[in-house]
Amino acid sequence: MKEHGFWRLGGKLYLAALVVFTMLPMVWMVITSLKTQFAALQYPPEWIPRNPTLDQYWLLLSPANAVGREFLRYLFNSVWVSAASTVLGVAVAVPAAYAFSRFRFPGRNLLFYSVLLRNMFPAVVFLMPLFIMMRWLGLVNTQASLILTYLTFGLPLSIWLLKGFYDNIPVQLEQAARIDGASRFQAFLLIVMPLSAPGITATAIYSFIMAWNEYVYALTFLNDKDRLTLPVGLQRFFTEYATNWPGLMAASFIMSVPVVALFLVLQKYFVRALTDGAVKS
Amino acid sequence: MTARSDGLLRRIVRHRADYLYVAPALGVMLLVIGYPIYDTVYLSFFNTPPNLALEDKIFAGLDNYGRILSADSFHEATWNTLVWTVFSTFFAFVLGFGAALALNREFRGRGLLRGILLIPYVISAVAASYVWRWLYHSDFGVIGAISVALGFTDTPINFLDNTTVVMPALIVVNVWKEFPFAMIMMLAGLQTVPDHLLRAARVDGAGTWESFVHITLPHLKGVTLVTVLLLLVTNLNSFTIPYIMTGGGPAGASEIWITHIYQLAFGRIRFGLASAYSVILFIVMMGLGYFYVRALTQGDERRGG
Repeated sequence: MKEHGFWRLGGKLYLAALVVFTMLPMVWMVITSLKTQFAALQYPPEWIPRNPTLDQYWLLLSPANAVGREFLRYLFNSVWVSAASTVLGVAVAVPAAYAFSRFRFPGRNLLFYSVLLRNMFPAVVFLMPLFIMMRWLGLVNTQASLILTYLTFGLPLSIWLLKGFYDNIPVQLEQAARIDGASRFQAFLLIVMPLSAPGITATAIYSFIMAWNEYVYALTFLNDKDRLTLPVGLQRFFTEYATNWPGLMAASFIMSVPVVALFLVLQKYFVRALTDGAVKS
Repeated sequence: MTARSDGLLRRIVRHRADYLYVAPALGVMLLVIGYPIYDTVYLSFFNTPPNLALEDKIFAGLDNYGRILSADSFHEATWNTLVWTVFSTFFAFVLGFGAALALNREFRGRGLLRGILLIPYVISAVAASYVWRWLYHSDFGVIGAISVALGFTDTPINFLDNTTVVMPALIVVNVWKEFPFAMIMMLAGLQTVPDHLLRAARVDGAGTWESFVHITLPHLKGVTLVTVLLLLVTNLNSFTIPYIMTGGGPAGASEIWITHIYQLAFGRIRFGLASAYSVILFIVMMGLGYFYVRALTQGDERRGG
């Protein structure tokens, strides 16, 4: 048992070191965001801000000034683009995932693995043809272009996650409903859909976070200042305002809060969603 | 049983209603995934004009491929991509696996700890890149200040403007962002290791290390394979961290394939050349994709699905 204690102590120390590594950047982001620009540019750094201030947050979140108006617009754009592409993706993915889970039609495996293979391709590879396509459709510099192109990763991901959830719903429930006279579609709609609500919620939130964090499509397709989403907007803050580091850190913090909060609340589902399929006992 | 003797066409007809469920998804995928792949391959054989008036493109055969494969910048980017991918994957996996092992036991605060360690994975890569840029700042960066305070160096290090340090500095950021993924995958894998085997081993007098090597590790083969493959793919596809933190610089020292392609396509507007580059990347990815699907289908067969 002595040997056991040794491994346990090692594990504890390791976790402690890892928590420091994980938290340091985030803690420093918050500390910096509470400083004035002058206080941030000190060497050696002020480890604890002597005069902490929420000025940067007020600046970003108040519609009374130009910076705040701009930031709130990016925030709103991000919410709109992420929500729209999530709703679209999940709506299309639900029946497809169900079919992949339950039916054995010819070509099922081929189609399903081509869905998976999508995850192998980098966004940049799709960027040029999609850019040409958007130009042809007249959608360059519109948010519709993002909502549509976010499906390139949102849809395969949603199909993959949802299939995992459907695989875990016992097929006997539908069989019982069919015996009671329900059609196949009714069984899907009335029996399976309500049971998969947690799965759909988790998938939707995962897809929302992916869209919220997306950068390269937004960078390429948008250039009109009013239409930018947060990740690209953040970059504008960096280049436009002579690098106001506390402001940039405050903006990063505000941008991270929603996804981290969503994620922590639904941690259980996420972990299941991510690891399902790769690991099954 | 009879299904096998039926003709393919008859089976398709019998299952026709099934296709209605997948049709919308397939339609969208053909539009936003299938067509772009086709178009990338097609464009890779052309020289495209810089104003992107595509009706003026000129057929160039395999010229684009030849130009890329013989360019020095491609060789340098390939080397950087290898370094980036291999080291990022290795350290993310080792750190994540270690965390999974340490977390694979009931104790107070375990859920909270797991939650904290997962945060980097969900934070936006753009926000993370700016935060780390600030940490690495050559004059006011906290990492430089800490290394001076601890006596490692006399003056703060200029991490991102130094051709030898820039890659390791970026890899640290990437590992920070990615190790949580390896952690939860391996943690899920560890939870499938049968308890009774571990207990039996203990009864037989095996120590912690022996039962780890002989029981736990063999059980994790499948998950490890999938996790490492997914990490490799993610790292080959990284864009945001290098692009925002250094833009491939200084002097191309942190240029990897993806940032290089982006630069060719949207910096110099050479779509044909960049498409050929993408196709080369495709081929590498398909190789990895083959192993990924195989690793997943083996799992499928095991559980008789």
